[in-house]
Amino acid sequence: MPKKKVLIVDDEEHIRFLYSEELTDEGYDVVTTDSGYQLMELIEKEKPDVIVLDIKMVDYNGLDLLQDIRNKYYDLPVILCTAYDTFKEDMKSIAADHYVIKSFDLTELKSKIASALEAHIPES
Amino acid sequence: MFAAEVNPLGIKSAEVVVCIPSYNEAPNIALPTQKADEGLCEYFQGAKAVIINCDNDSTDGTREVFLKTATEVPKIYLSTPPGVRGKGNNLKNLFKKVLDLKAEVVIVVDADLKSITAQWIKRLGEPLTRDFGYVAPLYVRHKYDGTITNAIAYPMTRALYGRRVRQPLGGDFGFSGRLAEIYLRSNTWDEAVSQFGIDIWMTTLAMNNGIPICQAFMGRPKIHKAKDPVTELGPMFRQVIGTIFRMMIKSAPFWKGVKWSKPTAIFGFGLGEVEMPPTVEVNFHLLHHRFVEGFDDHLELWRKVFCGEVLRKLMEIRDLDNDRFDFPTLVWIRVLYDMAVVFQKTPPENTDVLIDSLIPLYFGKTLSFAKKTERMSIQEAEEVIENESMLFEESKPYLVENWPG
Repeated sequence: MPKKKVLIVDDEEHIRFLYSEELTDEGYDVVTTDSGYQLMELIEKEKPDVIVLDIKMVDYNGLDLLQDIRNKYYDLPVILCTAYDTFKEDMKSIAADHYVIKSFDLTELKSKIASALEAHIPES
Repeated sequence: MFAAEVNPLGIKSAEVVVCIPSYNEAPNIALPTQKADEGLCEYFQGAKAVIINCDNDSTDGTREVFLKTATEVPKIYLSTPPGVRGKGNNLKNLFKKVLDLKAEVVIVVDADLKSITAQWIKRLGEPLTRDFGYVAPLYVRHKYDGTITNAIAYPMTRALYGRRVRQPLGGDFGFSGRLAEIYLRSNTWDEAVSQFGIDIWMTTLAMNNGIPICQAFMGRPKIHKAKDPVTELGPMFRQVIGTIFRMMIKSAPFWKGVKWSKPTAIFGFGLGEVEMPPTVEVNFHLLHHRFVEGFDDHLELWRKVFCGEVLRKLMEIRDLDNDRFDFPTLVWIRVLYDMAVVFQKTPPENTDVLIDSLIPLYFGKTLSFAKKTERMSIQEAEEVIENESMLFEESKPYLVENWPG
């Protein structure tokens, strides 16, 4: 069975490194980017199965990127990742499949990735 | 087809339709008619548009007010036969008319809306010109508003059909001409759907027909004519919950295959300031009283519906005083799932009694939610609802296991 591909969008290098290492060990194919720049093109090229998206990046607002992703990719799972949970005050966040608070313990993130990939709605 | 049709300009086709369903809304219908006109003129320039009032043969002059309201967009008035009531019956007339007109974009707004703006027409209609087939409204609501939605309709539809539509019975929505045809041909129409069950029925059919759904962020809260909760709760509860349960029976092969849920796209952010909703007061003592009273009226029936474990839990909850009251979400989920299973086996003539017995338990659940979120902001209360909805999804295997067949 082909590996599921996770795209990590985060401007913090150590987070990209940590996620990449741990998720690769978990059996995922991991692609990373440090910016929302040309994210749509990257998604088109890499065709990830799930995106882990940082909300607060220096140049980009993750919630705006989420809107762009959702408008183009109706069912592509997106997991929001943030250091603070105040983002939930912005209703844009409900277009995400899940959210996790950034932590060095990736148990929750792994669990959310697994359930996002498991989610299934049959063809009618 | 229609008991009465007034089509002053003889409109035979249209691309965009705004429908205002009504019954005795003469004092209110002019505003949504004007806003529909403004919205169509501003945001659907160049499209052939029409505003349709689908009415239940109102006796208060609704038709006259509607037709006399000055608009640039042409208007059509349709009515059900005298004595035939219900929003669903009005919308059935709309579905037929949409097919006649060959309309592609259909927007429905309630006749008693006081907070409608022209932008609502854009937000509910524009996604339909892209790839979406159904647009549900997303309002900021007070944490104590929309309790049937929060406690039952949202978490149930989300767990069953796998789409997170926060206001599945919002009342204002958009749908495509193709979906109108699906609605008209559906064999799931019944009496409850012809009344208040229509909104949840339309959302559910869109979900289980694989129609791309989005939610339109409305920016302003929904403010409309106040309803009497005492006289209107019973029929509305029966029709909405009955429709949810009946749709479960008819779409079991579909929802059994749904695993977890997916979000929907949100349309309409960044189009202005977000306005906070007015406060809704909750009478804790009355809710508690109605909950406890339910044991006198329905305990015998509940003994047949719920297993010993659930019954024991309900008794424990009954014995809690108002200050320490808590109705655990997992018990509430078992109540709903068990009742859905029993509903499936119940002869149609007895289902109203079954749903009526759920009302006191719903009061208990509402009280518990109100107490838990008493000091919370709207956003924090939303998180509680989201967490509870996840529990509905996590508990779904129990429902699948117990569902006959």
